[in-house]
Amino acid sequence: MSASPKPGSKPAVPLSERLWRALAWLEQRMNVTELFSFLTHFGVIYTPIDTQRPLREVLREIGSKPVVSYARWPHILGLLTAILFALQAISGTLLAFYYHPTATMAYESTRTIVRDVPLGWLVHQVHAWGSSLLMAVVFVRIVRLFWDGLYRAPREVLWFSGVMLGYLVIQIDFTGRLLPWDIHSYWAAIRGLEVISTVPVVGPVLAFVVGGKTLSQDSLPRFYVLHSLVLPGLYLAMVWVTFASMRRVGLSRTDEAPPATTTFRKHLADLAIIMLLLFAGLVTLATLFPFHFHGAADPYATPKGVQPPWYMLALYAVDQVPVPGWIPGLLALIVCLAIPFLPAILKRTGGRFDERRVRIAGVAVFAVWVVLSVIGVIVERS
Amino acid sequence: MAETETTPAGGPPAGSHGDRRDFLKWLSAGFLGLWAVGGAGALAAYLSPPKEAESSDNVVRVGRLADLHVGVAQLIRHGVKPFFVLRTDATNVVAMSAVCTHMRCILNYDRERKGLVCPCHDGRFDLNGNPLSGPPRRALPTYEVSVRAGEVFVRV
Repeated sequence: MSASPKPGSKPAVPLSERLWRALAWLEQRMNVTELFSFLTHFGVIYTPIDTQRPLREVLREIGSKPVVSYARWPHILGLLTAILFALQAISGTLLAFYYHPTATMAYESTRTIVRDVPLGWLVHQVHAWGSSLLMAVVFVRIVRLFWDGLYRAPREVLWFSGVMLGYLVIQIDFTGRLLPWDIHSYWAAIRGLEVISTVPVVGPVLAFVVGGKTLSQDSLPRFYVLHSLVLPGLYLAMVWVTFASMRRVGLSRTDEAPPATTTFRKHLADLAIIMLLLFAGLVTLATLFPFHFHGAADPYATPKGVQPPWYMLALYAVDQVPVPGWIPGLLALIVCLAIPFLPAILKRTGGRFDERRVRIAGVAVFAVWVVLSVIGVIVERS
Repeated sequence: MAETETTPAGGPPAGSHGDRRDFLKWLSAGFLGLWAVGGAGALAAYLSPPKEAESSDNVVRVGRLADLHVGVAQLIRHGVKPFFVLRTDATNVVAMSAVCTHMRCILNYDRERKGLVCPCHDGRFDLNGNPLSGPPRRALPTYEVSVRAGEVFVRV
């Protein structure tokens, strides 16, 4: 990692200089800066860079330029969504090395991972806990964007991509829960599908994508591809949109823009520290509070105490109201569609709006959601 | 990225504090190095291919001696080590690997020429496993065969 010159071996050319020469050699043959600028799309570098100039110059410039620190609360939330996603991608890739996405082998291969493969249990638990943390961060970020009014012009795209990240992370979690094919994941997925299928339009589309209205053995490969390829790809695209929009409009209102207090070098050091802390936290959680891994799924025996995932409990509670299923489904659909297009809706209500009233409305919607979720738990228990 | 471990600039300038800064620099580099070593070790442990249950009981029961015909080699589909069993006469059975030593293709038994032939590059082996023609240079491993109570066992 460190390119410090080695004393003794060759006094004339230090190692770092040799690396720079190799870079210069490469630079004559391809635009390395363009390749490097790829990193700017995912938040590692958030200052715009000039791809026409050699990489060495660009690095020197961004290394010393004062920038706004995005390693501070609350700006860090966007960075965390990217870093945690990267950690999930790594642990998920490791799991995929041993996982077989077929109904006959899914459970056994997962059991092999958590029981037989050295440290397999750790990788599995880190992936499970990482997913919970990622969801928490994405949702706290949405709340913070809402609270600070970052949906107002010109930050509509930032808000939209933030909400989309929330929806995507829910879908990634939902498809991922099925994969171990243990008795709880199987029946939780069945009930979850049942809940979603009450939603108009979304229900039939989902049935089409998942391969049938009810869960079957053929659904598993589809869940797997959605979980490990399609949805993460969309998530990455939304991260890209987030950072592209952030470079254009910034994260703070102009009147309260934070001073540029850090340098890019410092930022990278902060980034490394955050990653280490996150990883250490994940390992700690995974070791001290592991998720349960139950027995193999049996399509002909439903166990007791299986709950839909927590983010579905509200809709589940509404579904218990004795009206035709599509009515609560339609309500949920309208709310879910309204959130990403909040700026457009506010614009329609007529020019200037009172931000405090929007906040109160948001808190009210959130409170209703929490109450419904609690009712969902109570309905489940009884 | 070469820059990630650079200590933040803007601290006190070198002097009496220089030693302390150097020490802290080495300390953090050391800890990061420990992390890297630990992570690499964990990764290697996780990724190392699962050990096959070798050594102990890899004696394969092939079948009854009476079912094997003299002069007809039979392919036994055994894991990643398939092999041929061939009854040479009334009492003798030989077993040899069915994997070509050239490119790991699965050999076929050539009944007329009493030998094994590779479908990939036409390499040929005799029934002792020795290469006769074609690209293979190494002999096929042969396996120990035992016949107990009319049953044929091969130690792979």
